[in-house]
Amino acid sequence: MTELDPRDLSETEYAAVTAELETLADDQFVVAERYTDWQTRGPTLEADIAVANIAQDEYGHARLWYDLLEDLGHTEQELIWERDPASFRHATLLELGYETGGWADCVLRGYLYDVFEQLHLGALEETTYPRIADRLGKVQGEEGYHREHTESWLDRLTEDAAPGDEALVRLQAALDRLYPHALTLFEPTEHETQIVELGVRSTPLADLRGDWLAITTPFLGGLGLDVPDPELPESGVRGRDGTHTDDWERLYNEFTYTYEMLDREPRKLLVDPDEVGG
Amino acid sequence: MSEAPEAPFGEPEYCGYTEYADGVVPESLPNTGSDATGLERAVWDAVYEIEDPEMPVSIVDLGLIYGIGVRDIGDETEVTVRMTLTYTGCPARDMLTDDVRETAAGVEGIDDARVELVWSPEWNLSMVTDAGKESLREFGVSI
Repeated sequence: MTELDPRDLSETEYAAVTAELETLADDQFVVAERYTDWQTRGPTLEADIAVANIAQDEYGHARLWYDLLEDLGHTEQELIWERDPASFRHATLLELGYETGGWADCVLRGYLYDVFEQLHLGALEETTYPRIADRLGKVQGEEGYHREHTESWLDRLTEDAAPGDEALVRLQAALDRLYPHALTLFEPTEHETQIVELGVRSTPLADLRGDWLAITTPFLGGLGLDVPDPELPESGVRGRDGTHTDDWERLYNEFTYTYEMLDREPRKLLVDPDEVGG
Repeated sequence: MSEAPEAPFGEPEYCGYTEYADGVVPESLPNTGSDATGLERAVWDAVYEIEDPEMPVSIVDLGLIYGIGVRDIGDETEVTVRMTLTYTGCPARDMLTDDVRETAAGVEGIDDARVELVWSPEWNLSMVTDAGKESLREFGVSI
């Protein structure tokens, strides 16, 4: 397949590359934002530091992909701080708020996403977009540690647990809640056909679902969990098409809050005294 | 007097730790500029003085600098520094790249400096030079 020239993209190529980069970047940015909810609240000091560090990795990866969108002419403001929340392309799994104290949710969600991410990045190994290829190995290398972390936590939580034990009950509840949202990881953007045809990504996201099920289903079953129906409900939010849960609006408002304040407050404070009061 | 309860998780064990793979070093790396002459030599020497923000080791010995090239554009002499970072989430990214750019631009004879941040080939521990390993050991890092 022909290698794309980042300095000379046709309109179709530009749209396909942009959609794929946004999918990559938004997934990683939003999962990082959520991980930071656990900062200073992890169940142990080590767990706390590990999650903070994973969040930092994910921010780093998001930045690598946002950088490539900047190369295409976008600014950081357009890509994050002033972006229409309905144009973010991440899967809904990553935006959901945690149940209070739901550590099972945190590690399980991390696991479901990390396996997807491994497959998604793997499908980019033959990419025709050279700038994605240049960054891929570095990101893949760092992601291996994340899977190690979530898998070992899941093993540890379920070790010697009998049916009905709290750990399994909590994990099952988290799995039931998260699973339909995890399936939105495989939902396409409206540019999916072009992404695959142009070779930006060699495999359709929908095809990665089978690989993901083949890895996650036996692993989760082995922990003593019942894996829910792997069909996405027909109605409901899809994530990558711009439909999101209410939790997304809250998260968006939260992470843009400081930006908004920095932008607006000083102007109010710096009104020319001569113009005040009359 | 009751007996001590049995430890719920058996004997304590050390926590799992991450083993950092040494990795493969591409043939052209690490680059320390040992063959550089003239202005390029001067930029290598200047950049050598920059240390990692967290550890007292030169970023050249850490293996972060992949190449330095000087060229003339019209009347101006421009230097390009190709470099990487140890990891993508490096919080000191802008601080380091700014530092490198300013240091390179400050070399006599250089009018302008650019930093090209690259991620391939991936940096790994084997790219640290012997001098770098020595500095890290002195600092207390086991390497």
